[in-house]
Amino acid sequence: MRRFRFGVTARIIAVLVVLGVAVFPLYWMFVTALSSNSDLFADQPRLTPDLGQFGVFVDALAEGKAAGWLLNSLIIAVGTMVVSVGLGIPLGYALSRFSFWGKAVVTVVLLFTQMLPEALMVVPLFALFRRFELLDSLTGLVLVNSAFVLPIVALILKGAIDGIPKELEEAARADGARPFTTLTRINVPLIAPSIAATAVIAFFHAWNEYVFAVTFIFNPDLQPASVGIANFIGELGTPIQTVMAVAFLFTLPAVAFYLLVQKYVVSGMTAGAVKG
Amino acid sequence: MGNQRSHFGIARATCALGLVAALLTGCGSDGDSGDGVTKLTFAASTFGDPGRGPLLTKWLDEFNQSQTKVQVSAAAVPYPTFGQTVLTQMGSGKGPDLVRFDMPEFEAASDAGLVAPLDKVIDASKYDLLKQPDQFMVHDGVRHGVIFEASNYAMFYNADLIPTPPTTYEQFTATAKSLTKGDVFGLAFRQTEAEEAGVWQDIFNYVYGFGGAWSDGKNLTINSPENLKGLQAFKDLYDANVIPRGADAATFRRMFAEGKVGMELNNGGYVTATRGQNAKLNFSVAPIPFPVRKQGAILAPIVINEASEGKEEAGTFIKWALEPQNQVKLQEILGASSVATTTQRSAETLKQTPFLTVFDGLTETSLPQIVLGFEAKTPDIRKVVVQNVVAALQGKADLKSALDRAQQQATELVR
Amino acid sequence: MTVVEQTGAPKTTPPGRARRRPSPLGSKWTPYLFLAPAALFILVFQAVPLLQEVYLSFTRTRLLNPTRSEWVGLDNFNRIFGDPEFHRTLLITVIYVITCVVVAIGAGLVVALLLNKKFRGRGVARALVTVPWAAPGIAVALIATWMLNAQYGIVNRFLDAVGLGVPGGAILDSPRYALPAVLATTIWQLFPFTSVVLLSALQSVPQDLNEAATVDGAGRWATFRAVTWQVIKPTVGLLALLMTIWSLRRFELIWLMTKGGPVGSTETLVIDLYSQAFDSKELGSAAAIGMVGVVISLIVIIGSRLVARAVEKGDVR
Repeated sequence: MRRFRFGVTARIIAVLVVLGVAVFPLYWMFVTALSSNSDLFADQPRLTPDLGQFGVFVDALAEGKAAGWLLNSLIIAVGTMVVSVGLGIPLGYALSRFSFWGKAVVTVVLLFTQMLPEALMVVPLFALFRRFELLDSLTGLVLVNSAFVLPIVALILKGAIDGIPKELEEAARADGARPFTTLTRINVPLIAPSIAATAVIAFFHAWNEYVFAVTFIFNPDLQPASVGIANFIGELGTPIQTVMAVAFLFTLPAVAFYLLVQKYVVSGMTAGAVKG
Repeated sequence: MGNQRSHFGIARATCALGLVAALLTGCGSDGDSGDGVTKLTFAASTFGDPGRGPLLTKWLDEFNQSQTKVQVSAAAVPYPTFGQTVLTQMGSGKGPDLVRFDMPEFEAASDAGLVAPLDKVIDASKYDLLKQPDQFMVHDGVRHGVIFEASNYAMFYNADLIPTPPTTYEQFTATAKSLTKGDVFGLAFRQTEAEEAGVWQDIFNYVYGFGGAWSDGKNLTINSPENLKGLQAFKDLYDANVIPRGADAATFRRMFAEGKVGMELNNGGYVTATRGQNAKLNFSVAPIPFPVRKQGAILAPIVINEASEGKEEAGTFIKWALEPQNQVKLQEILGASSVATTTQRSAETLKQTPFLTVFDGLTETSLPQIVLGFEAKTPDIRKVVVQNVVAALQGKADLKSALDRAQQQATELVR
Repeated sequence: MTVVEQTGAPKTTPPGRARRRPSPLGSKWTPYLFLAPAALFILVFQAVPLLQEVYLSFTRTRLLNPTRSEWVGLDNFNRIFGDPEFHRTLLITVIYVITCVVVAIGAGLVVALLLNKKFRGRGVARALVTVPWAAPGIAVALIATWMLNAQYGIVNRFLDAVGLGVPGGAILDSPRYALPAVLATTIWQLFPFTSVVLLSALQSVPQDLNEAATVDGAGRWATFRAVTWQVIKPTVGLLALLMTIWSLRRFELIWLMTKGGPVGSTETLVIDLYSQAFDSKELGSAAAIGMVGVVISLIVIIGSRLVARAVEKGDVR
């Protein structure tokens, strides 16, 4: 009995330590944003946010370009989400339900593309974008981000469709439904959680993407937040509070969105990943 | 039939998706407005400087208000990645129309044919250009740029912490050491590879201030005894822990503004920026107290991108910038820097900032931070030199062999 | 897998065969129509650029004149393989990847086991622990750099307070501590993912089996080995593959924290590739470095498939 109680206490402490490690950096971002200059450069750091400094968030959005950055990020992320999921559903369906010549090749290509680093592709893509007039456009970023996240989206959705009993479709097909109708009427509703998961993954992928954005966008009005924030590093003199405030505003939606749908993300990701 | 319908369905869905994507993103796309106004971009790291950035943007607005056919907008590419970002874009036939370069990138870009010749755009003889800096704008008789900002390096010091500035290297180190205690550092300079361009600027003063040089005009002299002496002085200060190690320029300049750093070798452009960070800071400027009165100068040309579709309009902007009243305004924004043409500092400005004359007095002895005779290769040589110097700072090699190695690697590069 | 052809056609045979039966051509092409848009996309944005990169790796191409390439055969490869700094890059890449895989999965497993037990507030704890994974890499690099700041960073202040301070405090500026710091940041971001995935794998561990084993008097470790480990083994394998691939491609975090420095101590293949292309402006040798990375990844993927197959056959425990 005593040992049992000790175990519980130890576990509570362990859980608290893990949570502390997980959350502290973001908490510290928040505290730094809400610190006065004298607190920041003092001998003893202030460990709690100074809520009197809350105006820094308002200023960061009002004065700087942060609001525009965040809007650009949102456009890129939503666009990527729509394109990659829209293309990923039929691809996942084809991989799950049909056998066709070249299927093995497609699967291998999908796995293979997942390991191509963005940094490797940035040079030839730059040339490609230049030819297609896609430089300096958010459309270009949506397209390239979609291409990079599409394989994982398709593999997750294939895994999800694999999990649906084929009898359901066979019944529909017996009633004369065609493959596309079967897909949209039968499969899509059933794999909705996985679709949600892939949508979130695609959204985050684009929200966080940096290499392409920093290389392909010159017009400062089109910069997404990832580039804007990265530019703070080493930029002369932007107060660290502003930097942290913008970074916090950039992080918050990602974390909130993720926490909201995390159940689906996890089940989708594991379903897709384990079987993919 | 049915199958066909489903195929159409797919096609339709795909189209719809494409449309949604286009709609979503279309609103953000950049396009030439159809009203005959040429929109140009002007990339300058200065736009991101505290104090100077906002003022420079206002200056740009004045231009835009004076024009009906040309509009120039600022592109604030941050300093650490400026050359890399802009050169990549220009190499691919894109990029900003107007660029404010530092010398190494200017040389590399003009050598690669990425910079438009200016002889047809502006008539240089019409302006009273400062000869010393302007000579570097012309390559083999072809003008590639006009000075946007020229700024000499000097010693910034916190006048509250240092009542009388050091005048010899020994006093300089002694002051740095005596000031370093608690959370205050005597000195600050850049010392990480992440700030390669900045380290190059900082070590330049040590090399030339101890009588060294990167080249004799024909051959590289990276490992000459004088260079070794100068860089040894640099390393001694690093080893003495009188600088905030690992702090980047953004951090230590903020520290200087907060009174936590005593001295810093910096260019005149930073006077306004320092005031922008802390208007109350009591600081002053003196010549760098090294054995030889030779120091670096930031020469920052403004150029027109060869790939720009609005070269003529870009020329309009440069001509506007060279007009006397706009030069005066620009100089006041840039602080202790000089601009392309001779301008008079107003009595009021001099009263406000008496040490401006210190910078002006250094013009004769200041050199652009390029490798003479190997101008276009400066960025490559810089990379090699900075890598090896940082390796020596980090104790990965002794300084002498690091410089020997840099000499050998750089010689291979320029061969 | 080959269901459609076998079952689809016969069922629909008698009533409306003439009207409804998909033409042979139709059924044969249907899958291609489903995958064509995606395939086209991947072809344009992945395959074509990759082939271009392969070509570049055999040329000398300068960033400032990218359209003027000069065919140099294997020169780039000869040069990088003869360069001791590239050997160091390979070594650092291996260290980085292996540490990420082992520690991220190990930490993830510990956290998963911890959160698998029932306790009050478990749902909240499970949600909060995923925060690092959800945080954008850019923001993580930024806050990590600030926390590791030599003068004002909370990490140094803490280390100094407990007497473990690094002299000078410049962790990211020290060839010795920069890589561990970058690794710690990476793993901080990865462990929520591994733990959440392992947590869901643990759901399929039959509790009665666990209890049975305990009743039999097997120790905790033995129970774990005999029951839990057997169930989660495939998931661990998959995670190892994912972590390897992700670590091989990771860019932003390292680039923004150290740019591969100081003195190359955090320079992984991808960082080396990027700085070759954009700092040294040598697109050819950058492409060659990239090809080395691609080959390594291919070996990893093929190797993992072979291992997985062997495990399925029961050759490997």
